[in-house]
Amino acid sequence: MVSKKVTVVNAMGFHMRPATSFAGAMGKYPCDIKLRVGGKDVNAKSLMNIIAACIKCGTEVEVICDGEREAEALAEATGMIESGLGE
Amino acid sequence: MRITDLLSEKSISLNRTLSSKAEAIDALIALHEEAGNLNDRETYKAQILAREAQGSTAVGDGIAIPHAKTSAVAKPGLAAITAPAGVDYESLDGKPSDLLFMIAAPEDGNLHLEVLSRLMTLLMDETFRSDLLHASTAAEFLAVIDRKEAEKYPETPETVVKQDGYRILAVTACPTGIAHTYMAAEALEKAGKEMGIPLKAETNGSGGAKNVLTKQEIADADGIIIAADKSVEMSRFDGKKLISVKVSDGIKKPKELIERVLSDQAPVYHHSGAKAADSGEEGESFGRKIYKHLMNGVSNMLPFVVAGGIFIAIAFLIDTIMGAPQDSNFGTATPVAAFFKTIGNAAFNFMVPVLAGFIGLSIADRPGFLIGLVGGYLATTGATFMAVGGDVPSGFLGALFAGFVGGYLMLGLEKLCDKLPKALEGIKPVLIYPLVGLGMIAVVMCAVNPFMGMINTGLTNLLNSMGQSSKVLLGIVLGAMMAIDMGGPFNKAAYVFGTAAIASGNYDIMAAVMIGGMVPPLGIALATTFFKSRFNAQERKSGPVNYIMGLSFITEGAIPYAASDPLRVIPSCMVGAGVAGGLSMLFNCTLMAPHGGIFVFAVVGNWPYYLLSLVAGSIVTMVMLALLKKKVKE
Repeated sequence: MVSKKVTVVNAMGFHMRPATSFAGAMGKYPCDIKLRVGGKDVNAKSLMNIIAACIKCGTEVEVICDGEREAEALAEATGMIESGLGE
Repeated sequence: MRITDLLSEKSISLNRTLSSKAEAIDALIALHEEAGNLNDRETYKAQILAREAQGSTAVGDGIAIPHAKTSAVAKPGLAAITAPAGVDYESLDGKPSDLLFMIAAPEDGNLHLEVLSRLMTLLMDETFRSDLLHASTAAEFLAVIDRKEAEKYPETPETVVKQDGYRILAVTACPTGIAHTYMAAEALEKAGKEMGIPLKAETNGSGGAKNVLTKQEIADADGIIIAADKSVEMSRFDGKKLISVKVSDGIKKPKELIERVLSDQAPVYHHSGAKAADSGEEGESFGRKIYKHLMNGVSNMLPFVVAGGIFIAIAFLIDTIMGAPQDSNFGTATPVAAFFKTIGNAAFNFMVPVLAGFIGLSIADRPGFLIGLVGGYLATTGATFMAVGGDVPSGFLGALFAGFVGGYLMLGLEKLCDKLPKALEGIKPVLIYPLVGLGMIAVVMCAVNPFMGMINTGLTNLLNSMGQSSKVLLGIVLGAMMAIDMGGPFNKAAYVFGTAAIASGNYDIMAAVMIGGMVPPLGIALATTFFKSRFNAQERKSGPVNYIMGLSFITEGAIPYAASDPLRVIPSCMVGAGVAGGLSMLFNCTLMAPHGGIFVFAVVGNWPYYLLSLVAGSIVTMVMLALLKKKVKE
């Protein structure tokens, strides 16, 4: 299992469009991917779960990957969040 | 912000059949428009389509949540459609969508993400989705959401953590108490959090006050912000630094307000009424203040009218069933009917004083209540210096006068008393204000009421002289008079003229009088049914009761509506009532009972035409109300 903490930087946070592309990108990996936000774990492959977590700009998120290709998944996830989720 | 605050029955459409995504979008936008959420439909639609072009908002599991955050949105809202057969919304999972929610978010604020998040959290539950899909009415749909939301998000989930008391307290309120109240509270709490200043906001919404400020919290706070468009309980803030602004300022510039209340310029609030006016330094217009006072009176009067009116209608109904003779004792002929009529009348007797009393209270607080209430009562008895026990009542128009004049007289008195020695401070509110105030209002009302008597006498003479000339014209005048003041000198003159005519054997005059008194409530009831946008929520809800009151010849049902917007409502009622009265005369309708409404139609001569006249008059009133009254902004 690997994990890393990053901060959400895009102004609107995880609203629907970034959440869609994020969940889509995570769906490619066979490993389990979770976002730990405010003590709660969120399934990073589920768009609905991400939106429901209401992750705003400035929130610290811990990405946790466990399983096959975990390092690769972690790198892409943290990269996406740190670069502002394409916004 | 709760989902059900954003979603109304108007913006829900169930069991639709939709053939395409485009049709679904149009249908949802139409719902938003219907609910008054948009100020520019085309721009909003363009934004929705632009968002869809970046990727479908169908998120799977049959759910689609199209959304746009744009200045074309007038107020934040949600629209919902269920389409059990599904529609191809280009979902990621390729399946059709059957549950569609469209979000309209205004440009400013974080509302967008929070609504989206809440909605998603609720929608993740499969039983919840299925309950929504199986809802057969909009009310049921809302109830399903309300239940689930209450379970997931108990009331006031996100208040700031208390740290050695709150430095700033706020009270937010708007007339409807649905959206702005909560938006302002949220904006203020958020701004406080960002500035590191603990802030608690009490919301005086439609469901009563929530997150109420405690005595201890008020004692510990450094300053108070009132962001409200209606009166809020102020006496508890005596001696605190306080600023009072419009609710919209609470939403738009929360940080500025916090800075202002903490600065040395913020005035210290002294509760006595006199300075209450000064604290509204943000410059509420005079007209707005008048409106606020008026509505405070009307909304407190309304329950008396509704309950009393229904009791009186029940009395007529009982006497009809018991087969009591339809004469002047009708409605009190049997003991049970007499019970209901007497109790109903008791409630009615309070109606006009309560209107004046609460106008006075709104203007000048507790001392104003006394003079308003007593002034209103003197308006109903018609006390004069010559006949202090009562003469010709000045009715609700007199009471409006009493409430406003009394309230402002009290404010003036409080200003004058500022010059009194400090030692008298303690006895001002308990002795000086009530005592002098009572004397003032008694003098004012006794001086005004005789004019009512003169008007009354003049009108009676006029009617007597007209009786010789045109019958139809007389009918028109009588009908209109019934609708002018609904219990004041005009109404009374017409009514007495009608009953006097019965005594002398002319039954057609009473028919015109009664129909003139039936039209105002009926016309208003019709208008609240067919032109909902012209009335606020409270007025709409009490609309149906006016059908009962109109049919029972209880003209008073129209008073709350007339009092809240006299310049538009009274002419509408007069014209409709005049038309009905004229027609009744034209058709030679007759009536031998001086009251009873539809319950005495059995003794009305030529009754089918009488009914026709009633319908015609009521429709005229409704149409005029629709034309004259402005749309209510909520």
